[in-house]
Amino acid sequence: MRKQIIWPLMFFCCLLMCQNLMAQVKKVTVKGTILDAVTKEPLTGATIGTQAEGGKTQADINGKYTVTVDEGSVLTFTFVSYKSESHKLAAGETTVNINMTTDAKQANEVVIRGYVKRNRDQTTGSSYIITGKEVQDNPVGNVEQLLQGKVAGLNIQNNTGAPGMRGSVNIRGLSTIATTGTGDAAFLQPTSPLYVIDGVPLDADKASEFGFDQQGPGVSPLSLIPQEDIASMEILKDATATALYGSRGAYGVILIQTVRGKSKVPVIRYSAMFYLSAVPKLRETLGGAAERSFKVGQINKYGINDDKYRLSNTQFLSDSLNAYYNNSTNWQGIFYANKFNTTHNIALDGGDARFNYKVNLKYFSQSGLIEKTGFENYSMNMNMEFKPSSKLSFFGQIRTSMARIRSGSGNQVLQTVVNANGNKSTLQPGPSFLLATSDVLSSLNIRESSGPKNLSANLNATYELLPGLSLQTNGNYTYEIETQDKFLPAAANGQFARIDNFYGYSSELYNRNNLTYTKSLGQHNLFFNVFNEIYVKKRQQSYTRITGTPNDQYEGPSGYDGNLSRGAGVLDNFYDLRTASYAFAFTYDFKKKYVLDLTYRLDGSSANGPVDPYTKNPSVGFRWNITKEDWIANHTSKWLDQADLRLSVGQNIYPIGNLVDIYGRYNPNGFYNNQARVGIDFGRVPNPNLLPKKVLQYNLGFDATLFNSHLDITFDTYYKAVTNDLVSINLSNVLAFGSFQSNDGAISNYGYELALTIRPLKQSAKVKWTMNVNGALNYDVLVKLPAIFNGQYIDISGSNGLDVSGQFLAKRVGRNSLSNYLFTNEGVYATTAQVPVDPVTGVRLRNLVGNNPLNSYQGGDARLKDLNGDYVIDVRDRSVSGNTQPLITGGFSNTIGYGQFSLNVYCSYTAVRSVLNNSLAQRLVALSNPFGTNAVPSPGDLRIWRGTGDATATYANVYNYAHEQYMNNFRGEQTLWQEDGSYFKINQATLSYNLPKDLVKRLGLNAIRTTFTASNLAVFTPYSGPNVENVNNLGKDIDGAYPNPRTYTLGLNVNF
Amino acid sequence: MKKIIICLLVVMVASQYSCKKFLDITPIDKVTGNNYYKSVQDVEANITDMYGQLYDKYVQTNTAGATGEFRSGEAIPSSSGSGARAVRGDVALLGGHKNRIPNSGTTPGLVNIQVNGTRSDRYLLFAVAERDDAGVTNPTRFSALTKWGEYYRVIQAANILVDKLQEGIPSLNQDQTKKYIAEAKFIRNYCYFTMVRLYGDVVYYTNAYQKDPLPRENMVSVIKKCIADMRSSKNDLPLTVTDPSNRSIRASKSAVICLLMNMNMWNAGFDLGGKTAYYQETAALGKELMDEAQVSGAPRLLSLSEWAVVMKGRSEEGLFELFNSVNYNPNNIPFALAPIGDAFTHFPYKLPEYDNRTSPVVLTAEYMKKLYPDTKDNRLAIWFDEPFNQNAETFQMKKFATNSPIDGGAGSVNGLPDNTFMIFRYADAILLRAEALAELNQDADATTLLNIVRKRATSPEFPNPNGEPYGLKDAIFYERAKELMGEGSHYFDLVRTKRLTNRLYTDNYLTSDKYARGGWTWPIDVSALNNNPLMSLNSYWVGSGLE
Repeated sequence: MRKQIIWPLMFFCCLLMCQNLMAQVKKVTVKGTILDAVTKEPLTGATIGTQAEGGKTQADINGKYTVTVDEGSVLTFTFVSYKSESHKLAAGETTVNINMTTDAKQANEVVIRGYVKRNRDQTTGSSYIITGKEVQDNPVGNVEQLLQGKVAGLNIQNNTGAPGMRGSVNIRGLSTIATTGTGDAAFLQPTSPLYVIDGVPLDADKASEFGFDQQGPGVSPLSLIPQEDIASMEILKDATATALYGSRGAYGVILIQTVRGKSKVPVIRYSAMFYLSAVPKLRETLGGAAERSFKVGQINKYGINDDKYRLSNTQFLSDSLNAYYNNSTNWQGIFYANKFNTTHNIALDGGDARFNYKVNLKYFSQSGLIEKTGFENYSMNMNMEFKPSSKLSFFGQIRTSMARIRSGSGNQVLQTVVNANGNKSTLQPGPSFLLATSDVLSSLNIRESSGPKNLSANLNATYELLPGLSLQTNGNYTYEIETQDKFLPAAANGQFARIDNFYGYSSELYNRNNLTYTKSLGQHNLFFNVFNEIYVKKRQQSYTRITGTPNDQYEGPSGYDGNLSRGAGVLDNFYDLRTASYAFAFTYDFKKKYVLDLTYRLDGSSANGPVDPYTKNPSVGFRWNITKEDWIANHTSKWLDQADLRLSVGQNIYPIGNLVDIYGRYNPNGFYNNQARVGIDFGRVPNPNLLPKKVLQYNLGFDATLFNSHLDITFDTYYKAVTNDLVSINLSNVLAFGSFQSNDGAISNYGYELALTIRPLKQSAKVKWTMNVNGALNYDVLVKLPAIFNGQYIDISGSNGLDVSGQFLAKRVGRNSLSNYLFTNEGVYATTAQVPVDPVTGVRLRNLVGNNPLNSYQGGDARLKDLNGDYVIDVRDRSVSGNTQPLITGGFSNTIGYGQFSLNVYCSYTAVRSVLNNSLAQRLVALSNPFGTNAVPSPGDLRIWRGTGDATATYANVYNYAHEQYMNNFRGEQTLWQEDGSYFKINQATLSYNLPKDLVKRLGLNAIRTTFTASNLAVFTPYSGPNVENVNNLGKDIDGAYPNPRTYTLGLNVNF
Repeated sequence: MKKIIICLLVVMVASQYSCKKFLDITPIDKVTGNNYYKSVQDVEANITDMYGQLYDKYVQTNTAGATGEFRSGEAIPSSSGSGARAVRGDVALLGGHKNRIPNSGTTPGLVNIQVNGTRSDRYLLFAVAERDDAGVTNPTRFSALTKWGEYYRVIQAANILVDKLQEGIPSLNQDQTKKYIAEAKFIRNYCYFTMVRLYGDVVYYTNAYQKDPLPRENMVSVIKKCIADMRSSKNDLPLTVTDPSNRSIRASKSAVICLLMNMNMWNAGFDLGGKTAYYQETAALGKELMDEAQVSGAPRLLSLSEWAVVMKGRSEEGLFELFNSVNYNPNNIPFALAPIGDAFTHFPYKLPEYDNRTSPVVLTAEYMKKLYPDTKDNRLAIWFDEPFNQNAETFQMKKFATNSPIDGGAGSVNGLPDNTFMIFRYADAILLRAEALAELNQDADATTLLNIVRKRATSPEFPNPNGEPYGLKDAIFYERAKELMGEGSHYFDLVRTKRLTNRLYTDNYLTSDKYARGGWTWPIDVSALNNNPLMSLNSYWVGSGLE
């Protein structure tokens, strides 16, 4: 009965409703899945809508969506950094699965300028974006090293394998010629780009400011950012892009955006990596009996005076039957070993445009190849964005991390003790409780607990006051504690246990207030941006060292005993620094065709003193979007998708020097006549006219997308003039002061950068193939030195004589800025008769010391060029040669996707660079010291002089050790060791596989992606040393450098 | 929503507060130049440091002995050391000889000098080497005399202070500013004068923060500039320092005048064309000083019985001293050989007895007789033991030994008499005025002045026919040699009056040629050539000296 009533009612209702509907089109419900075309990952949060109504619905965690739209309407699918897709619904079509491809056109990218997001086609600067995906599959302590070879003009040399440490980073060549230390110990002052993380600037050079001899447990703050948490990185290169970041942007800027929540349904991602760090090939040595017979044979053949008698008294060589000396110890194997490591990361994010949040938890661990070294990091990053209305938004972020670093017996970058002990004679017994030297024990038994703890909180609020006018304020506070507790047992430290204690804190308060205004007047678009920034930075560090604890088990308590204390107190790197800056930017464009950028920034710093604390950074940029010009587009639209020209010029000023440099320092000097004395410090003459360093840069760029996105081209050429660089001049003693900081150094860099993205296959093809090739050619020229140097400065210091040894840097105006100053090696004298004879004295060409005939060269010795023709080889026979900085850098990346598989191979290269092969020099020196307690390296296939008449040898007779002590044939300062440091390196190969959907479903999960990565796979180089990249930033293959490991990684990514 | 806007605006406004103040930071770990020179205390401490540096330089070696006495060749070292004391062979080398006084045993009388080899003024080079041929560090450290860096440190410091004072230092009134400028100028000109006397031509500058290398400048021109520099500011200082703890230790008008007189007399010896003007200015300055001293009662000559007071320092007779006292730095005893008295004294003026039974150096009897032809002179009694017997066992110059040793009671310690280091003394000014007047042929006035000094020593007045065969000028010269013996001026008197070329006046005389080639100068350490392409050394001392 009831049914009978209901049904007709429904029918009538429908009829009534349909009367309304009949006037419109029929609605349909469409379902489908949105996936990444290459990786087949679901694109959670992609929006689906119609052209008429815009975005309506978001895809869920599996990429699935359901939407009700008019029949026959056009669905549009949009997602950040993917190309928009549209699909016209056919009649009756209810399922639309879409594979979206990543947006290849750079013109559509969103870039950031002066902390404000802009569309790339309306900006004039030069920059490059790397997405977070590119830095995920290879576990590294510092994400920076994965940028190597990815950006044209960004020269990264991963010159240390120490866990958590940074290599050297330069954007567009040299920015300074200032070196610290002299001779062999010199190193180039780091000029790292400024990093800005989610709008907060960060000092990446922090841990490296003391150079290789650094003290304390600091790591670069960059090492504390988990790679999984990075959404994108943008590298800003030219002046218009960097000028708004002020003086600290003078060396380039790298912006990092971290992941934000974008899915209504919370997403949990877990990723784990299991990896093996493998020891690279180490030095080959002769072991055991081979070493003994080599050394004994050498003494028998070349020994002079009482060497043979001495041999019989050198027990470790002569007493072969003694079990103590009858070993074949692999010393390197004691210190170096393969290590297995894991990292785990859990990310939780969710939300929509109105409210979203993210939490990222990470554990990273990397045990070093060398015993007792390693880096561990625990970090938790959270952020939250809330937009209560369309006008107001808040963004809050907390980043915390705790790292643990162990540096063994060395400091973090150099491991000299390990290196020295790895060289020990194989005849000596390996370390045991009773038979070991204290430095071996110190490397193996040191107990260390150190590392930084970092907390950073950031709050950002934006409010739109009027349409187009918005106000933004950003506050950030970072606090970092660095501690180091080291304990050396008594056996490892000359019978006195030692405690080292380091404590340091640094804090940074940052505030920025921004006002932006956008206005369109017809075809004219205006944009204004004004902001100010302040910093308050503080740092204090202290250090204590006490020897003599009760025993090796107790690390304390240790009472104070003046006799045992080795100094304590606050270190002299204390600082309290403040800066205040104002910046202004104005952009005008006409129909988005012509864009003009003007920026201006003022920086005030407490380090510059109160007289003139401000530096000024202006820039101008212009862009012409060629393809928006109808008269061009009409002719080229078939093959040219988009093209533009960019031109910019600007200046960044970098303050150098501090209050002491400008005003001098006054020291208490005790008493005279019972009254206090305070006098000026005579180390360095104050320079009240000290100018900040100026970086003036011109950039001309061209971008194009061709052949329906098959090819992207970005080309930049630039001229960068660095003037007012600091050069220290040693002063005459009549001027009382030791040195003067002159502003008269200047270098220029000019070069070309080219980046190509090639997609050889059609977009619809089953195989997706993308190739990225980039390269940069950078010339640096030393333009100016203080007049007193007369165009050349060689940093020999501390000696006036002609007999100085060491690999000095030569700075000569007109050529590359940092060259070597070496003897010219022209091979080997085949016979003694070939050695020139001084016609005046009748003495053969000789070394400086005295007239002793033993100092004269003979057959088998290195043929060093006697440049001044005085038949004496001394410092005046050296000449300038080589270039310590690379001319060409770049990289090459290949991604092929097929079905659920994807393969990425990425390589980098560096070409035309001189590297001083000190490891080879040391190897040969080791061959000529039979009485020494070092191992004998294998001479291998080196072309060593074989005997009288051998004219084609490269290396002098190393076996004649007795003669070698007078000759120093293997001195480091000769062109023999200056080798071509070009290399091509396969950085990484990654194979990834997404498990099939149905299998994953059965496991109750959403997606599983597995990867296998091998990194640091192979290096192709003409260089004959162990690792061409493992050299310092002045191209010296330094002793005790930490080797770069090769790693094999198994990765697992799971989406819940 | 309004609230939020207000909040944002408050944040923006708050962040703009007084930017200049925000950027001014006072480092807590060091004093930098922008925070220094803010008060009288800062200036005082800075000036004290300059005097302190001069003191430190002066006591690096026996400056007064080496520069004033030893080079003229009359000082003979004893041939064997006594106890722990070394043979002072360097003293002989400075005097151009290798002679020795043999030990006399117990004989009290005159001992003949043991002559070793010929005389050569170039022996000096051995004495100023840091190490001898065997690599042993020369114990007398005369090498310090070849290094001028310390003087330039003081000069830079003084130049910077003058610059800061001229810029204006808050909390200083005009009189204080002028006074401190005058004092800083005195300090730098004292340095230049000292260096000119040692090295001849020197680098001269008065710019603060001088950083560009400069060549050496003709010494006459340097002294002229120094005179002009100080003349303008001499009246900004009080005649003497009234604070007894600073008397003659800090600059005063008397010290400035004495320095100006010395400078004028130096130039008179080298700038022959203008010598009359220099003499006139010296005489005028001397008159000004003595007239004003007459009125105010100080400076004055103390009686000879108060000699210990003069040598103790801060007396009314001293014009400028580099002061040292056991009271202030008992643990900071200067270099043991720095006081000249050390060379000429033994027990009981030098402790302990077992190490100090002989004087390491004696003056020749011939020289002493030349100075004191008439033995009726109180100075002989007060300043000497057995002045004419040329015997290390008995000869002593007690002039610098009247005060108790610095270590006081501890007799076993190698103590030094607690003396000041006298630079300028009132008697010096009086005699310079006398010399200038004598050169201007105003003999009567000159004689009066000479007799002021003699009267104090109860020595027969000039002219003294009783065994004093000199004319007035020589009498004044010898009077200076007697009165200022050991105070570091005798050799410079020989140089500027060219008496150095006459063997009547010195045992280590130079020929006119050697004199003209700079044989009277000291060698300059080769480090001066570093980083200065415009620099040259004293060629007399380079290589064979004939370049």
